[in-house]
Amino acid sequence: MAAQATLTERQILEDLELALMTDTTAPATPEPEDPRALFEEQALQYMDQLYAAAMRLTRNPADAADLVQETFVKAYQAFGQFQQGTNLKAWLYRIQTNTFINNYRKNQRNPYQGTIDDLEDWQLGSAESATATSGRSAEAEAIDHLPDSAVKDALQAIPEDFRMAVYFADVEGFSYQEIADIMKTPVGTVMSRLHRGRRMLRELLADYARERGIVTPEADLSGVHK
Amino acid sequence: MTDCGCDKAKAELEEYLHRELSDQDFVDISDHLATCSDCSQEHLVGLALSDKVRRACQETAPEELRAAVIGRLEQLQV
Repeated sequence: MAAQATLTERQILEDLELALMTDTTAPATPEPEDPRALFEEQALQYMDQLYAAAMRLTRNPADAADLVQETFVKAYQAFGQFQQGTNLKAWLYRIQTNTFINNYRKNQRNPYQGTIDDLEDWQLGSAESATATSGRSAEAEAIDHLPDSAVKDALQAIPEDFRMAVYFADVEGFSYQEIADIMKTPVGTVMSRLHRGRRMLRELLADYARERGIVTPEADLSGVHK
Repeated sequence: MTDCGCDKAKAELEEYLHRELSDQDFVDISDHLATCSDCSQEHLVGLALSDKVRRACQETAPEELRAAVIGRLEQLQV
């Protein structure tokens, strides 16, 4: 009985090993005559994510689709330079961010460009959160109950560099170093953008919740200063 | 158990949330959160915000886009 269990376990381990080996050796043995198949297999799985990020950048489905398409074309053309085994998704995001800056950003009104990181905190509004503890548990609950559209609107309302830092950290779960590579900025700047972006977002959502009455009566969000 | 105090915890909550702290700092903040309701409430707001943003930003690329991308790749010579 015990021997049988061990045997089964070993079988599972071998299967697992085989699966892992298959997985890691697959990129090393592409059919050399068909790099497109390799690219499609590895890169196209990130289309939903790239599209979601593109929506946050361009603000509309048509431009987002164009941006993603352009990103994949550029990535495919540069695929020979991609180092297998490194983070493909982060690499694709780097290309998409570059493409957006070069092709799209100049067409959009962007009053913050180039100066946003230099603004003082008071110019961005609000000091640290002074919300009472009781207010904060209500605040967490209110955030939880907000409609997705309110969150997207709030994201659109904050400066693009802040918005994308928040997006990369909270939606994609990239490390600060990966975000720094994607946005081509020092890690310290990433931290500052994240901190400021999240704080602005939190205030906007608190405002929204208060205006719509999505707060419990005893909640006191007035401590979150404008 | 040494308590790092509210100032350190508040200053590092965001990095704590994003798993950017050293193991020692992570333990220090965790210990503090376990005993300080003020800081742990603040942490919960941060968690709620991250979670909400993540859920709100999910999108599915249109099928036409997938087809268009594959079509473009087919035309390209590399």
